[in-house]
Amino acid sequence: MTDHAIVITGLIAGTAAIRGVGYLIGSRLPSKGPWAVGLNALPGCMIAALLAITLAPAGPPEWGAALVSLGVALWSRSLPLTMAIGVATIALLNSIL
Amino acid sequence: MTCSALPEQTRHDAFRSGLCDAIPISLGVGIYGLAFGILAAGQGLSAAMTGFMSAFVFAGAGQIVALERLGTSAGAMIALVAGLALNLRLLLMTASLRDELGGRPLWQIVLGLHLTADENWVLMHAARNRGVPAGYHYLLGAGVSLFLAWVAATTAGAAFSGNIPDLGTGVMDFAFTAAFILLLTSLWQRRGDLAPWMISASVAALWSLVLPFDPSWGLLFGAIVGAAYAGVRSHD
Repeated sequence: MTDHAIVITGLIAGTAAIRGVGYLIGSRLPSKGPWAVGLNALPGCMIAALLAITLAPAGPPEWGAALVSLGVALWSRSLPLTMAIGVATIALLNSIL
Repeated sequence: MTCSALPEQTRHDAFRSGLCDAIPISLGVGIYGLAFGILAAGQGLSAAMTGFMSAFVFAGAGQIVALERLGTSAGAMIALVAGLALNLRLLLMTASLRDELGGRPLWQIVLGLHLTADENWVLMHAARNRGVPAGYHYLLGAGVSLFLAWVAATTAGAAFSGNIPDLGTGVMDFAFTAAFILLLTSLWQRRGDLAPWMISASVAALWSLVLPFDPSWGLLFGAIVGAAYAGVRSHD
């Protein structure tokens, strides 16, 4: 088996298993009480953690563009606009900082 | 402005809303897909094999990391473990899909699980926060949009790798960051959300800055600690 075949078949099987096991675990947790509150809080916590590991090791251009994006997001509630202004801001800040 | 501004009436409406809401992010995914296709071609993968991988793994970040590791002569097993470690966050996402998938036929559960990615999972929760009853079909519609963009772009990137100019993926990285910033603001419900989010972000940031492990473990650990705090707090 070539390295490519090992990686591709391993990723297909492993990722499917991760998705399936997650669902099986979730479906066996109580639907009320602290477990349910924790699962309900998970999306926000996951995105907060994702942004943290992206932005913490970055630099002033990314931090500045993140602040601008946050402002646009709160003001406009528009996904395309926030993405477009975020990209434009990071390009601008990269060129001047 | 979003496509799902009005409450959904049917599963077709829900599917269409999801598909439409995901189009802006799918465009970003397309740019990334082209870059991944070029990377895959550089590693000796054919366009058909690249498309096959994208369709059956459908987890972009894990695919990119695995092939990048393979390119550094790290060995197939290390490349595989690196890719799967990044995909472990999918476990937390699918664990929260009980209400969307429960009671459905097996094929619908398998399809829903396979089409679950960061973007459509968060889009669904954000739409729900706006009062849209987004569920299984919304998740599926947004997932199909992302899936088509990813598979088509990665295949095209591998097929035409010699003819595609520099796509500026460094700048495009930030398109996803900006998207997730907006989606996080869309998930805000009450002041009580702030503490779990701050805990998650602080734990994840400290992990990625201090500990000598891959940041994706910090993402997982941070998300679990914040969600656990929310659960324990509700019990007190």
